[in-house]
Amino acid sequence: MNGTAVLHSIIDGVLTGSVYALMATGLTLIFGVMNIINVAQGILVILGAYLSYALSVHLGIDLFVGLAITIPTLFVVGIVVERIFLSRIKGPERVVMSILVTYAIALVIEGLLNIVFSANYVELHAWYVVRSVRVFGIWLPYIYLLGFALAVVLLGALYVMLYRTRFGASVRASLADQTAAALVGINVRRVSTICFGLGVAVTAAGGMIYGATNAFNANSSYDLISRLLVIIVLGGMGSLGGALVAGIMMITIEDLVSVVWGPTWSNLSFFVILVIVLSLRPQGLFGQRSVRVA
Amino acid sequence: MTESTPFLGIEGVVAGYGGGDVLKGVDFTVKEGGVTCIVGPNGSGKSTLLKVISGLLKPRLGQIYFKGTPLVGLTPRAILKLGIVQVPQNHSLFGEMSVEENVELGAFIVRDRSVIARRMDSVREMFPIVAERAKDKAGSLSSGQQRLVEFARCLMLEPELVVLDEPSMGLDPKTLRVMFDTVKMMNAMGRTVLLVEQNARQALKMSHHGVVLENGQVRLSGTGSEVLNNPEIGVLFLGGALLEKPKAS
Ligand SMILES: Nc1ncnc2c1ncn2[C@@H]1O[C@H](COP(=O)(O)OP(=O)(O)OP(=O)(O)O)[C@@H](O)[C@H]1O
Ligand SMILES: [Mg+2]
Repeated sequence: MNGTAVLHSIIDGVLTGSVYALMATGLTLIFGVMNIINVAQGILVILGAYLSYALSVHLGIDLFVGLAITIPTLFVVGIVVERIFLSRIKGPERVVMSILVTYAIALVIEGLLNIVFSANYVELHAWYVVRSVRVFGIWLPYIYLLGFALAVVLLGALYVMLYRTRFGASVRASLADQTAAALVGINVRRVSTICFGLGVAVTAAGGMIYGATNAFNANSSYDLISRLLVIIVLGGMGSLGGALVAGIMMITIEDLVSVVWGPTWSNLSFFVILVIVLSLRPQGLFGQRSVRVA
Repeated sequence: MTESTPFLGIEGVVAGYGGGDVLKGVDFTVKEGGVTCIVGPNGSGKSTLLKVISGLLKPRLGQIYFKGTPLVGLTPRAILKLGIVQVPQNHSLFGEMSVEENVELGAFIVRDRSVIARRMDSVREMFPIVAERAKDKAGSLSSGQQRLVEFARCLMLEPELVVLDEPSMGLDPKTLRVMFDTVKMMNAMGRTVLLVEQNARQALKMSHHGVVLENGQVRLSGTGSEVLNNPEIGVLFLGGALLEKPKAS
């Protein structure tokens, strides 16, 4: 272990963590507004990565330019899934039912991706994936910086939408209390559908960065979803700020542990931290409440 | 004799949550301009009835007319637009938002910024706390203060009918008085009030009309003092089910 390696893992953790924070924000937004735990979020990230892959390999569209297609596509996928499957789930068992339903959706998407793209690992290519730049004396591929910038821009846009617009106010009101929101005239159903769309749309961006920094196949979704779930539980279910902090924190710690003790420990570190934090603060770092029912 | 269209007419409402009917045929009318108070034991269906009125719950049978317009099937938003606003039983402010933001959300369905600004001004005048604690998180206010801010929020629509579900819940005696005075003031301003109260005596005293709901049906209705002075009411609030008349001993 040396100082450079530690610094490297911190920088990498912050840069990569911000992308995880973006994907986790989508997940926690969906949970907060709808009481739905979307375990398909992992495979949707991979779907986003494959869409970028297809556009880049077959049509020669740049990965970032392609987002103009993949983000709206996944937004629509989210809206359709919500309308067809999730809007039917009602009642006190909503949270548990949502896990089963979204898991089934995940399996279907995973099967389809395996058929279309095979199980061979692929990677996204672009000049900024292979070329590096020196940051604090460390060589980093450009994609890490671009991914960080993309996450910051999208999280910023999400923040402005939530805190500066009328629609955002209706989302925050629905997050807090659906009955009270309905009683001031907010169409909670519509807000839910759009939030699900938005929560899924961020996976297009997350997936592109993930695919440009990792070799992936449909199976990679399991690793992703377990990380994302840990992040939102740790940050506090439904807390947007919590997802941000926990995302960056967890990936940084994971990277550090991997450098200090070796990669085998890094996965474990994730769950150890989760257990410690939850035993001290069961609602997570920034959570307002435990899982809400009805 | 022909009866004119009631302000709010509740006709044969049967409703529940899927496990049997909670309301088993409720009929009564609310007169324009007055305060109507619904009392009844816990679980008798008072809140359920209010949820039906505000569109949160669709009744299985029956109809509700607001100045002749049928309400069943309308969304809560459409019912708000007609001029019926409800403050629910549990605290309903958005705790993480500021007091000001909460009150502004009362006019969520109003698009015109100048109308909203004007109403904010008059609400601030009526409820000084809205100005004093404008930037504080609503969740940091005391129970009584939150209640007043909820009232302020519901007046942002300048509603014709204000529906209040147990506004006294969780208030200490002093704030209770302020709260009741505020209800009177809203009424004096021309808003018809329909409220549910556990503080039956105090509430019925200030009400023009009283309705006793028991086990999902109207047990008794009349003027506030008629209901208040009815000998059966005491028994009802001592927890006795009035399936049979209490025997004189
Ligand atoms: N969301 C719900 N789902 C299922 N049952 C409900 C629900 N809300 C109320 N109930 C049931 O309906 C019945 C009537 O409840 P309601 O809240 O209307 O009573 P209430 O008269 O307002 O009582 P309280 O004075 O305690 O507020 C009760 O038996 C209650 O358990
Ligand atoms: Mg009630």
